[in-house]
Amino acid sequence: METLDSLMLGFSVALRPDVLWYGFLGCLVGTLVGVLPGIGPLSGISILLPVTFGLDATKAIVMLAGIYYGSQYGGSTTSILMRIPGEASSVMTCIDGYAMARKGRAGAALCIAAVGSWIAGTFGVVVLTAIAPPLAAFALRFGPPEYTALLVLGLIFLAYMSSTSLPRTLLMAAIGLLLGTIGIDNLTGHFRYSFDIAELGDGIGIVPVAVGLFGLGEILSTPSATVVGEVMAPKLRELLPNREEWRQSAWPIARGSVLGFLIGLTPGSAHIISSFLSYAVERKLARHPEEFGKGAVAGVAGPESANNSASTGAFVPMLALGLPTGPVTAVLMAALIVHGVQPGPQLVNEHPDVFWGFVASMYVGNVLLLLLNLPLVGLFVNVLRIPYSYLYPLVIMFCVIGVYTVNNSIVDVWIMLIMGVLGYFLRKLGLDPAPLVLGLVISPTFELSLRQSLIMSNGYWTIFFTRPIALALFFIAAVLLSLSLFALIRRRADWRTKLAQAEAGEAAQ
Amino acid sequence: MTPRADHIAGSAAIAAALAVLAVSGDLPFGTLAFPGAGMMPKLICALMILLGATLMARGGASAPFSDIGWSDLPHAVRVLAITAAAVALYTTLGFIVTMSLMLFALIALEGRNLVAAAVYSVGICLFTYWLFTVVLKSPLEQGILGF
Repeated sequence: METLDSLMLGFSVALRPDVLWYGFLGCLVGTLVGVLPGIGPLSGISILLPVTFGLDATKAIVMLAGIYYGSQYGGSTTSILMRIPGEASSVMTCIDGYAMARKGRAGAALCIAAVGSWIAGTFGVVVLTAIAPPLAAFALRFGPPEYTALLVLGLIFLAYMSSTSLPRTLLMAAIGLLLGTIGIDNLTGHFRYSFDIAELGDGIGIVPVAVGLFGLGEILSTPSATVVGEVMAPKLRELLPNREEWRQSAWPIARGSVLGFLIGLTPGSAHIISSFLSYAVERKLARHPEEFGKGAVAGVAGPESANNSASTGAFVPMLALGLPTGPVTAVLMAALIVHGVQPGPQLVNEHPDVFWGFVASMYVGNVLLLLLNLPLVGLFVNVLRIPYSYLYPLVIMFCVIGVYTVNNSIVDVWIMLIMGVLGYFLRKLGLDPAPLVLGLVISPTFELSLRQSLIMSNGYWTIFFTRPIALALFFIAAVLLSLSLFALIRRRADWRTKLAQAEAGEAAQ
Repeated sequence: MTPRADHIAGSAAIAAALAVLAVSGDLPFGTLAFPGAGMMPKLICALMILLGATLMARGGASAPFSDIGWSDLPHAVRVLAITAAAVALYTTLGFIVTMSLMLFALIALEGRNLVAAAVYSVGICLFTYWLFTVVLKSPLEQGILGF
């Protein structure tokens, strides 16, 4: 009952015309970001982050979150119509979505993707509404040892869930942790690795690193000659799926929603992993698996639902625990902190209007996206007709503006360039940059909680094993680490290896 | 032995960790009861060396380094050089001049019509400047020319 009352408070905030406007703007920009290849939600959010400085925290987070889940909707459009994933999480939709389009069912595929995304997104918000407040209340019991244990578990979970190998993921996370130590040490005041560059005293920001690794890195490795594609534009009347297609999509949407939300709670590229796993599950459960790759409805409905549900699930640890599960939620957290709102267990009590306004805005945003994506598909298709050679310089310009405007610092832009080069080489070596960003984000909290724990216990590291919550978290981490090491030593092809092979196979096609 | 992707990645990680350790000399490690500013970076460097060595030891399973395609390297170098030049001039010449030149150079290098590239570059930059400065109230860099 209390939750419902709070949700009503949220709706009273989310339905205010000014908040609604920024929510709509976020959804529109997010859809465009999702549609355009080469620019992801992270770049979109980073570019518009400085624009939100003049807004209050609620409007800012509503708009930026709209970009995030809007991009998950928009990503399906290019996948279905051009076989180019606008988003990494839409890779699986390319296969059967494009095959459906080739069979003249592009409109139906777009409609199923949009409706599936809406159902999954709304399901995710309902579960978030139910579990985030009690989780936040539980997290109030956390002290430095529990936070240390939780962050270790997060890193191990990231490595376990990763489709690349354990050492590769942990290595990337370690580089991120190391980058996070640059700047003034909070406990002793030492300058670390700042090399007399004043701007480095505050450390390396998330935005230049994330935009460089993901935005610029992607552009550097994508020559315009490689981006070609024929755009199929469905007419409005062709958008409605037939009864059989609705029937075939119902269970995949339901399964994708649940699977996506659960994976969304875990650290890493959850929205990408969820769509791959959903596709694998649907193929496994299908009566006619041979139809997959040739236009199976379940191959569109499942992954599209899963990636949207995962993007909502990722908000649970961010809002309730103050822990980002990936680069996008890290930047969203940074946006809240810029506005004086600290995400975490206290958020729901200290800023109920922000918390519940944000949650309610996601219900509204999902409806807005459904209304935006279907009737305006023709408009978004026209955006795809802009040649890539005109588009990528524009993206670079927005990357520069976005990074520079956060702190008015040209050093940040140089960091972005360096990270772009690093991102290019990481791609060449098959290393995933996402754990690096996550490591960078959690590094200050991890170091502080670890050192505080040791100071609290006068140097006895057993403090981590004498407190029940910390012990339980370390136990889970140990189990996951053992499972990963077992697969590593035995060189056994488990589900993650198969997932990596599937990803590599799809990327190569 | 054929060098493979993981051999290169692992050795680069070890080299980076050793370089960081080399410049960390003045950072105190401290004690367990009061950890110093150097404890965390040094522990992470040790972890990086361990993980880098593991990656190298298991490198046989990764793709041969010679199989990695570098056909996009000229594009990457061109884009990077032009962007770096623009960044170097950004605070001096301001947003409109620098970004117009950057867009024009990038599009011209793709072999597009020069007049169209010039019109597109200037038009986009003027629109963006107006959008950020007037509509979004988030002023962009002006430079010595005052715009």
